[in-house]
Amino acid sequence: MSRRVSSTLEIDGGEIRCRKCGHALGPKGAPWKHAAAMTEIPMRGAAGIPYSGGERVVLRRFACPGCGALLDSETALPEDPFLDDVLFD
Amino acid sequence: MDPITFSIIRHRLFRIVDEAVITLKHVSGSAITNEGHDLMVSLYRADGSLLMGGVGFLHHLTSAAEACKATIRRFGDDIAEGDVFLLNDPYTAALHTSDIYLVAPIHYRGELVAWSACFVHVYDIGATNPGGFCPDAPDIFTEGFSSPGIRLVSGGRVNQDVMDTLLNMVRSPEMVALDMSSMIACNNVARERMLALIEKYGHETVDEACRTLIEQSETLLRERLRELPDGSWRSRQYIDVNGEVFKVNLTMTKRDDGLVFDFSGSSPQAPHAINCTKWASLGGLFAPLFPLLCYDITWNEGVVRPIEMIAPEGSIVNCTRPAPVSVATVGAIQSVNNAACAAIGKMLDASEKYAGEATAVWHANHFAVFMFGRNQHGGEAIGILTETFAGSGGARNFADGIDVGGEIPNPISRMANVETLETIFPLRYLFRRRMTDSGGPGRYRGGAGMEIGLTPHDAPDGGLHYVVSGKGADFPMSEGLAGGYPGAPNSYIWVKNNEAGTDPRNADAGFGQSVDDLPGEQERISWGVFPLMGDDVLYLRWNGGGGYGDPLDREPGSVLEDCRAGVVSRETAARVYGVAIDEDLAAFDAAATEARRRALAAARVPAEAAE
Repeated sequence: MSRRVSSTLEIDGGEIRCRKCGHALGPKGAPWKHAAAMTEIPMRGAAGIPYSGGERVVLRRFACPGCGALLDSETALPEDPFLDDVLFD
Repeated sequence: MDPITFSIIRHRLFRIVDEAVITLKHVSGSAITNEGHDLMVSLYRADGSLLMGGVGFLHHLTSAAEACKATIRRFGDDIAEGDVFLLNDPYTAALHTSDIYLVAPIHYRGELVAWSACFVHVYDIGATNPGGFCPDAPDIFTEGFSSPGIRLVSGGRVNQDVMDTLLNMVRSPEMVALDMSSMIACNNVARERMLALIEKYGHETVDEACRTLIEQSETLLRERLRELPDGSWRSRQYIDVNGEVFKVNLTMTKRDDGLVFDFSGSSPQAPHAINCTKWASLGGLFAPLFPLLCYDITWNEGVVRPIEMIAPEGSIVNCTRPAPVSVATVGAIQSVNNAACAAIGKMLDASEKYAGEATAVWHANHFAVFMFGRNQHGGEAIGILTETFAGSGGARNFADGIDVGGEIPNPISRMANVETLETIFPLRYLFRRRMTDSGGPGRYRGGAGMEIGLTPHDAPDGGLHYVVSGKGADFPMSEGLAGGYPGAPNSYIWVKNNEAGTDPRNADAGFGQSVDDLPGEQERISWGVFPLMGDDVLYLRWNGGGGYGDPLDREPGSVLEDCRAGVVSRETAARVYGVAIDEDLAAFDAAATEARRRALAAARVPAEAAE
């Protein structure tokens, strides 16, 4: 039986998986973002004219390598670590 | 105790707070209070612990509890019936000096049985800048009058020497006096109604109900926490000030029935007034926690008990005296609000039962512009542009965020009518409307923010000045959830229309309807005091709410409706939502949309990751 991690992820068979396609993103209880397909795009212009912020600010998009579904996103400076969320057993 | 009596007393406590809020608004003459609802009223137990949290800015509920406790520590047995104490020192309990607490003991037959407490952002506090926000303050000594506790009213009589001393240190003393009167009246009403409640049901019964109410809240919150998954969730907020960047880092860990908010890794305290003290951070994390986790639980000490905060001393979220803090409420405190909202939203989204309560971050950045100068009536006008309270809703997992839909930390925040502001200030609004593409894209879109353009009008001095504490022009602060994009950041532009008389674009009297239509040099500003004179224009745009879920999953028909409403541009519809909409916004092309979405999803996965 699967266990919800978020609206985009679940735990099934001891693995964190994309809820859309079931692609595995690593063992439960561990950060999953390094297993995702990550694209960093400039925040400036990311979604229209009002996205007029700083030049170095990026939008990180973590997508499922299996189906391209967007699993999470975060605002960041390039040198800053991922915001890793972990569900405990 | 008898559940019917308990319920009646509980409900009466709610109503006491409500009536006190109404009193506060009716007596106050300040738009920030009675239009923007930058206020708070709550009831406290005899020991100062929170009994019944009211509405208004919720980060004050726990800070005012500390104000009551600090008053008890300072005055001890010298607290008498009919006294009212003033406290606004951030290093004792308050958030910043402008937010004055008046805390009043409630005695029944000579015994201290409860406290009422309230705050308003007073008209002025005698700081270097009118209105109290001092972006360039080097320390708290330049941020105005500050008291760790002083008796303003003794036995029902105002200590006029104390009041006059305060009023002697502020601009527009008549307005500050009205602020004080509103808070005294508010506390009077709270005390009278509380005593009437005790008279009717008896002190022991009311006391037992209050004790039970706190125990009930603790039990209910702990039960809820046990239902939520154990885990840790991280969030991060950036605060940019004149090119410098400061961070609020949060790791929120939930185990069993306890919740820890750990701000380790946040920036050291800043040389700018964005810092906040530990009481402010504690209040800042509770502001979203109350409505998001305790929407059906009474907000009191019982909710406080399961929560722990770690805020390193000397950091931006627990600064040490004499660091400046006058901008804290729109600086580090608001970032604590946002970080807590983001982490709680992720925790709720991890629960099958509570996912429906999850939300992206709402309106995350007050632009907080305080205008000041001589107005068209010959008086001195000081005040905030209440649009800063208008907000924008974060998207949830079942619905879009509400456009201009308020904010999480203040359930009753709102903005004044244009006409009200034009009556107070010598200003003319060129436009005030929802901002296209400001809401964070997602399966459910973040609520839109707004944009406004202001120019002087009928100003005896040719215009006026303003204080802008505009962090957040570089970074979006309304984070999205579950893949949703953040809402767009704020923007502050000074349009210098010095050549108004000679610029040919002014031939038709210059009522520009967009920032691009406005003649003159444009300068991005965000921090300090600036003039708004002659035909200059101040353009402000505030952030939309965060989006929820993958924008490629949004119903194409909803995107089309957004375009028709002017909330989303056709370009963003295509580029971010993958929806192909014809030029006259009549329809979307289903086949082209499907193809575009497939291509956009594929582009997210680099070839090596897909292998």
